[in-house]
Amino acid sequence: MNDSGPLLEVEEVVKRFGGIRAVDGATMNVRDGSITALIGPNGAGKTTLFNVVTGFYRGDRGSVRFDGDRVFGEPPYELARKGMVRTFQITKALAAMPVIDNMMLAAPNQPGELFRNLIFMPRGVRAHEKQVRKQAMELLQLFNLTDLADDYAGTLSGGQRKLLELARALMAEPKLLLLDEPMAGINPTLGARLLDHMQRLRRESGVTFLFIEHDMEVVMNHSDRVIVMAEGRVIAEGDPQEVRRDQRVIDAYLGGTATDTAHGEEVTQ
Amino acid sequence: MTLDPATLMPVGVSFEAITDIDFWISVGVLAGIYAIVALGLQVNTGFTGIVNFGAAAFMAVGAYSMAILVLEVGISFWLSLPLAMLITMLFGALVGLPSLRLRADYFAIATIAMAEMVRLFAQNARGLTGGNQGLFCADDDPSNCYANSWRDVSDSINGFVENFWSDPSSLFPLLLVIWVTVGIATIALVYLQKTPWGRVLRAIREDEDAARALGKNTLLFKLQSLAISALLGAIGGFFLALNLATLHPIDFEPLITFFAFSVLVLGGLANYKGVAVGAVLFWFVIEGTRFIDLPDPPFTETRIAALRLAITGLLLIGLMAFRPQGLFGNRQEMVLGE
Repeated sequence: MNDSGPLLEVEEVVKRFGGIRAVDGATMNVRDGSITALIGPNGAGKTTLFNVVTGFYRGDRGSVRFDGDRVFGEPPYELARKGMVRTFQITKALAAMPVIDNMMLAAPNQPGELFRNLIFMPRGVRAHEKQVRKQAMELLQLFNLTDLADDYAGTLSGGQRKLLELARALMAEPKLLLLDEPMAGINPTLGARLLDHMQRLRRESGVTFLFIEHDMEVVMNHSDRVIVMAEGRVIAEGDPQEVRRDQRVIDAYLGGTATDTAHGEEVTQ
Repeated sequence: MTLDPATLMPVGVSFEAITDIDFWISVGVLAGIYAIVALGLQVNTGFTGIVNFGAAAFMAVGAYSMAILVLEVGISFWLSLPLAMLITMLFGALVGLPSLRLRADYFAIATIAMAEMVRLFAQNARGLTGGNQGLFCADDDPSNCYANSWRDVSDSINGFVENFWSDPSSLFPLLLVIWVTVGIATIALVYLQKTPWGRVLRAIREDEDAARALGKNTLLFKLQSLAISALLGAIGGFFLALNLATLHPIDFEPLITFFAFSVLVLGGLANYKGVAVGAVLFWFVIEGTRFIDLPDPPFTETRIAALRLAITGLLLIGLMAFRPQGLFGNRQEMVLGE
């Protein structure tokens, strides 16, 4: 594992909704090249923190550094262009667009998105478009979605949409991929494939992952760092084994005994 | 025994007027103007997912800018056209800058308010717009008319047309130019829709957050979408001003926008080619219903005028019930978009 410095540094981030402090001074680091899981009971502030980090919410206080740059308060599209790409808890497949268009949309630096290029260099636009299409088809092949390329994304199953969303995020050439519950609502076979993809992408493309997950088995077996949130704060950070034994985590999240980790959710509810 | 057909059939059609070519040319002119405006709404509503109820304002800003530039500033008609287009596009972007940050339904409300503000301004800024008197091209005073240059061109077109048609309608050249414009605009928009630029617009329509998460500055694209519909609105406004040879604030009431929306819905959302057909059909129904003869009393002229709109509305409701995607709309995209 190429553990190096932090790619993402989050410090003392606060996000209030009226009187509720959904994120209450969260501090965490995501190491470059790691697969980091973000866990915590419902209402711990994981998704809110995601939204602040990726610019979808404006944080009230704190700092976020990504790849050495201060990025706190920057709009989502700027962060995406810098290599911080996210997916959503409820998939945002662009339903009334074909799968291939979903993919091609995500490619960065497209000359054809600028009006003046459409008028003054249509040939350059077409050439680039061809290249983007090729790249998109390669990624679709990787995710076994080639046959569905021309179907509307809205006709895909829930699991296929999750795969499409991951493939589409990769088209954006991310350094850091933030996945909000990538396994939720998909069958175990597809889930396993998704995890394989994450491992391979980290290995082959050097993509760093931060993902929110509730399935403890997935978290313990597939991540190399675990960050635990409760009540808007980060209460523990470490490798899965450390976190599993941490008394604060057991108290806050797992509720019962440490051996029940595989079904921690059910135990607490 | 002979029977008067009129007493047998309560509903009849007067055939003399219906074969009047000049009348149908004027209907074609209106259909073309609304097709151009509705194409702009198609860019916004059909392909960007922003519901713009301010089309009448874009028409007003375009038409009044052109007229004021010619009459007050004194520049040539042909130079006033691109300048007025530019002014209207800037106006559109300026309106969009604050309002496009609103959620879709609130944006729609803001655009109605904006359109009414423009109309009321035109009504009250008498020194500039002539207020309720309007700006007009009186036949006895051709010096004070914004359309003189166009009239020259119109006459020379008809001079050529006379080779084939002994007594051409005075509106025929306008009809020609308008429908050529509809054709060019439709082709240009169909092309744009296929580019990466058009793909981003569609992505915004589907899910703006997803587009933002993938690095697209969605506000910028929405502003461009609005500027394009402002451009088309301005062009529609020019043709309206040339058709009526007068400019009154009353020509830019919200009803105009809703007529354009009816055209859009009739032709079908998310399809540029349907817009022209929708416009022709809509105006065929609106104007065609003029020829329905009903016994007077009880059907007085004003009652029939109201009835015509009611019939048009019923037809639209029927369309929504049986073919919600419109004539050429993409039903699959419509259903999946939900």
